[in-house]
Amino acid sequence: MPRVKIDGTEYEVEDGRTILQALDDLGLLMNGVDVPHYCWHPKLPVDGSCRLCQVEVDDIPKLQIACNTPIRDGMEVRTQSDRVADARRGVMELLLVNHPLDCPICDQAGECKLQDYAFDYGVKHARTRDPRRPAQKAVELGPEIVFDQERCILCRRCVRFCRDVTGTAELGVFQRGDESLLETFPGKPLDNAYSMNVADICPVGALTTRDFRFKIRVWFLDDVDSVCNQCSNGCNISAGRAHNNVYRFTPRRNDDVNDTWMCDAGRLSYPALREGRLETAQLRGRSVAFNEAVAAAGAALRETREAGGRIVGIGSPFAPNEDLFTLRELLGAVGAGPGLFSVPLGAGDDILIKPEKAPNAAGARALGFVESGDVGDAALAIVLGHAAAGDALSSVENVILIDTHDSALASRAMVALPARTFAERAGTFTNHAKRVQRFLPFLEPRFEAWAEGDILTRLAASAGLDTDAWDVNAVSKRLSQEVPAFEGIDLDSVGDRGLELR
Amino acid sequence: MQPETRQKIEALFEQYPEKRGALLPAIYLVQAEQGWVSAEQAEALAELFDLKPIDVWEVLTFYNMFYTSPQGRHHVYVCTNLPCSLRGARGLLKQIEAHLGIRAGQTTEDGRVTLGHEECLGSCGTAPVLRVDGRYCENVDAQEARRLVDALE
Repeated sequence: MPRVKIDGTEYEVEDGRTILQALDDLGLLMNGVDVPHYCWHPKLPVDGSCRLCQVEVDDIPKLQIACNTPIRDGMEVRTQSDRVADARRGVMELLLVNHPLDCPICDQAGECKLQDYAFDYGVKHARTRDPRRPAQKAVELGPEIVFDQERCILCRRCVRFCRDVTGTAELGVFQRGDESLLETFPGKPLDNAYSMNVADICPVGALTTRDFRFKIRVWFLDDVDSVCNQCSNGCNISAGRAHNNVYRFTPRRNDDVNDTWMCDAGRLSYPALREGRLETAQLRGRSVAFNEAVAAAGAALRETREAGGRIVGIGSPFAPNEDLFTLRELLGAVGAGPGLFSVPLGAGDDILIKPEKAPNAAGARALGFVESGDVGDAALAIVLGHAAAGDALSSVENVILIDTHDSALASRAMVALPARTFAERAGTFTNHAKRVQRFLPFLEPRFEAWAEGDILTRLAASAGLDTDAWDVNAVSKRLSQEVPAFEGIDLDSVGDRGLELR
Repeated sequence: MQPETRQKIEALFEQYPEKRGALLPAIYLVQAEQGWVSAEQAEALAELFDLKPIDVWEVLTFYNMFYTSPQGRHHVYVCTNLPCSLRGARGLLKQIEAHLGIRAGQTTEDGRVTLGHEECLGSCGTAPVLRVDGRYCENVDAQEARRLVDALE
């Protein structure tokens, strides 16, 4: 493997990598070694158009662009010399020639590369006297993306995304020279299942999503690591949170799962964390206090056991591994068979979207849940989630439903208990490739709701079973010790990138 | 796209190591049909070349001898690059604009003349230079420009 000296430190890098790729591989890019860049993106082909990543290489007289210079053994790269700083200043000045100075009203402010690099490398005063080039404002490029043509610096990241990632090729740069403009083919909108990623990769405020535009200044947002629950791919996401509200989901890079992308449907799924929730405990369709509902459910569970009635458990592919494990334990304690579950299906593609429209079907399978809706002659059913319960439960006299969202079943059930969404508690999902991934809480519930596993444990205690208070970390540890597939995989050890099932 | 145009384009393919190389002459052939290239024609070209429509549109808009909107019967283009400008091309363009009653980039109401400015025509030694219907007119002054424009039918 070639060795390279960067700013005096020697590194060993993989064969055939460019300087920027090697720095990215080493985790040093803009994180120890500052090589500012606009057009280069780790998941897109090289463009070489922005010229900002110029560095000194060996004794080559001219500066080289780090994004397109392959590393050779023994190469020496200098990223912080005076010549490099001077070149960056020059490039920044040219990039800013036509860029409006409207940061105070620009939605990108606070997460704008142009702003950051202008601060680091820019000149303080514009030397141009001619007015900036006027162009179109607030162009609706498609259903989700709004475009400010004046702010575009023509890095072509969005163009390459649409060509090389989605293959839809909606965007292009038309005209040439200082008249170049980013546009769509006449009459053809930017409309694909991943279109909103172009707003993430746009280094400036040119491409914004209609959904997030002007909602909140980004510096008010905390980003919390989470996992999308809209399909079994389990794209890693950051939840942008402020004031106990979530304002957006953005993809979080995980090269083993979703690179740096996510689909629009997943990105726009966050309102469901608030809408349509089951907000109070229900006893035969009547709102009651949480504890009263738990006591009634516990009593029914005890009586059914004593009377020898059959008990069935129905898991949910939306429930985290820890909660499914608790359900499994409870079902074992009351002598019920393995839990059942079913997965809603939909369309998938070859990029990220998977046909299984739930985040944890693989987890349910790994924990021994059986894909079936056949409840037979059960007298009592303990049900997580309503997604697949359906009519099969109409023959069951006592349904104890633990659910995040309201449904017809909630009003029909003997007891319905409000559960926390994945946004309101920690846990893990197992994606289609059997990768266990962690999500962290980013919202406080607005009403009394508990994790499914927690509710199951209260139910068990109320039915007279011997239990400890539920704690997701403790359950996760026990799961990793008791289920071979999860050996060594718990909330701590999965880290922020996930681990594959054994 | 007319069938004859398509045949001519297909015949071009053999002359290039890669099909894609024939795109420029193919655009000329399509443009000859109605004097400009429509989005539909660009899509037909893309299909013929196994390209994305956006690829064709990027090429079309890059070169200023291709047109994506209806044009006048005649084209008058004034080079406004540095040497021509030093020899009075910008003033010349303004005078032609006034004479025709249109701005650069527009077409006269009767559809007779489309006026535009041009990047370097490579004839700086004879600046200022006009391109009138693909013909070079060199060392042009205001009087000569008016005569050239008025001679167009």
